[in-house]
Amino acid sequence: MVETRDHAKPATPLAAGIGLRAPHLSEVMANPSAAGWYEVHAENYMGHGPALRALERLRQMSPVSLHGVGLSLGSAEGIDDDHLDRLARLVERLEPMRVSEHLSWSAADGIYFNDLMPLPYTEEALDLVAANVERAQAWLGRPILIENPSSYLRYRHSTIAEPEFLAELVRHTGCGLLCDVNNIHVSGRNLGFDSSAYLAALPAAAVGEIHLAGHHGNAAGGREVLIDDHGSAVAETVWVLYAEALDWFGPQPTLIEWDCRLPALSVLLGEADKADALARHVLQESPQEKPNVEAA
Amino acid sequence: MSKLRDLQRAVGRGILGHDQGSIVEAILGDGLDPAARLQIYANHYRSSLTEALKEIYPVVCRLVDERFFGFAVDRYIDSSPPRKPCLFEFGDTFADFLAGFPPCRTLPYLPDVARLEWAINAALHAPADVPLEAGALAAAAPADYPRLVFRLQPSLRLIASPWPVDLIWQANKPGAEDSVDLDQGGCRLEIRQLGEEVVFRRLEPAEFDLRGFLAAGQPLEAALAAVLKTDPMFDPAMALSRLFGEGLVVGYAFAAIEIPQPTEILP
Repeated sequence: MVETRDHAKPATPLAAGIGLRAPHLSEVMANPSAAGWYEVHAENYMGHGPALRALERLRQMSPVSLHGVGLSLGSAEGIDDDHLDRLARLVERLEPMRVSEHLSWSAADGIYFNDLMPLPYTEEALDLVAANVERAQAWLGRPILIENPSSYLRYRHSTIAEPEFLAELVRHTGCGLLCDVNNIHVSGRNLGFDSSAYLAALPAAAVGEIHLAGHHGNAAGGREVLIDDHGSAVAETVWVLYAEALDWFGPQPTLIEWDCRLPALSVLLGEADKADALARHVLQESPQEKPNVEAA
Repeated sequence: MSKLRDLQRAVGRGILGHDQGSIVEAILGDGLDPAARLQIYANHYRSSLTEALKEIYPVVCRLVDERFFGFAVDRYIDSSPPRKPCLFEFGDTFADFLAGFPPCRTLPYLPDVARLEWAINAALHAPADVPLEAGALAAAAPADYPRLVFRLQPSLRLIASPWPVDLIWQANKPGAEDSVDLDQGGCRLEIRQLGEEVVFRRLEPAEFDLRGFLAAGQPLEAALAAVLKTDPMFDPAMALSRLFGEGLVVGYAFAAIEIPQPTEILP
C-alpha cells in the first residue's frame, strides 16, 4: 500500500493548468506563469533532445505534471519494463507534481495501438490492473493517479460499474484518481450511463486532479457518437459537470487539455481562466461541504 | 491463458482489420452495431499513426500529396505496426518501405528524402553530450594512439545519396516553393543537433568518410588510413581539429584488439 495523500496534494490550490504541446513551448518559456501549471505527455519527452531540456528549465519556474499514455496498465501481458524504466527516469529528472496514467490498455501481442482502450470490468481485470499499478508505483517510488477513460464500447461480460472498479483499484493499490470530467460525459453519452451518478460513485478522497477537454459529435450507424478528440473548447455540458465535480471533490489541480487543431496559447489560457472563475464561484457558494478540502 | 489476454488479442486483431468476427459478440451494442463501435478504435489507430508520420515526414508527404501519403502509410502500418509506445520512435523503417513500394518507383529519390527526415527526427530526440577538448587526448600514451576509438555526438547522422536530397528538402519544406534540378548529382549530408535545433549540411567526401568510419566505431588510425587511400591530399591534422572544434567528439576509449581495416562505408 502506498501513501497517497501527502505526495498527491499541493499545499495550496493552484490556478488551472494547461496541457503543454510543442508549438506553445517557446511562448510558455517566455512567460512561465501564464498558466498555474503545465502537464505533458510523458512519452513525448522520453528522448533527450531540446524539448526535454526546455521542459527541465520550465520545471524550475512552474509546477509540471507527467501524464503517461503508453504504459498500458490494463494489459494482460503485463507492462513493459523498459517503458516503465524510461518513465521512472523521467520522473526522477523532473520531479513532477503529479504522475498519472489511464485505466485502459494499449498493447496486445507486442503491437501498440496508440490508443487507450477500455477494459472489461471483471474481477480478473481488477486483479490484473491492480498488480500492474502496484508494480508501477513500486518502480516509480510514488503513487500515481489513474484516469477514467473515454469509451466507445463496453463488454457484455463486465460485472462491475466503472466508478466502482476505480474505487476498488484505489482500495487495492493506494493509487489516486484523475477525474476526467469530459471523459465521463463522453462515455456516459456513448454508453448510456448517468454522468452525475458516476461522479457521485467515485471515491472523492482519492481524486487528486481533474481534466477538462473538448469533444465532437460524429455520426456512426445512424446515431451520434461523441469522440474525445481534445480538439475544441470545453462543452457547456462539461462545464456543468465540472461544477458538480468541484462540489464532490473540492478544489483540485484542474487541467485544460487541447491536443489537436491546436489554437493560440491565449485560447487555452482563456479556458483555464474560465475553470478558475467557475471554481471560485462553486466553492464560495458552499464552503462548509468540503471535508476533503485541505487548503481552500 | 487468461480470458482477458484472449479478449485483448481478439480486439487487437479487429483493430488491425484481420478479423472482427470473433470479438463483436463480446461487445454490447447499446443502440449501435458492435462492429461500428470497434471500428471507431480501428479508425483512430490508422488516423493517429498517419498524423504522427505526417509530422515526421512533412516533405515526403508534400512530394507525393496527402492522399497518396495516407495510402502509403496505410500499407506501411499493415507491414510494420508500432512495437513501442513512444510515437516519435514509430516510422524508422518507412524509407525502406517506400524503396520497395511499387507505386513509388517513379520517384527514386523519395526513400532518401525519407531517410533525411528520419535522421532529423532521430537527431531531435538524441542527447547532447558535453564535447571533449582536443587537449583531453594528452592523457593518452602515444603508443596507444593506433587503438584510439572516438565516441561522437549521439545526434550525429550521416546520409549519402545519389540525389540532391538536401535541396529537394529545402525546396519542398512547408511554405517553400522552389524547383530542383535532379540531374545535378548527389550529396553527402551530416545531420546533428546544434544548440537547441537540428541542422544539416553537405560534407566533402573525405570528411564524410572519416566521420562515418569513426561513428561506426573504427579506430582513428585505421579510419585515417582508409580515407588517405582514396584521397592522398587529405589532411588528418586539420580534419581532427575540425572534429573537435565542431564539438563532435564526446569521449574516447581504446580498442582492445586489432580491428580490421574498414572496407565500406554505410550509406
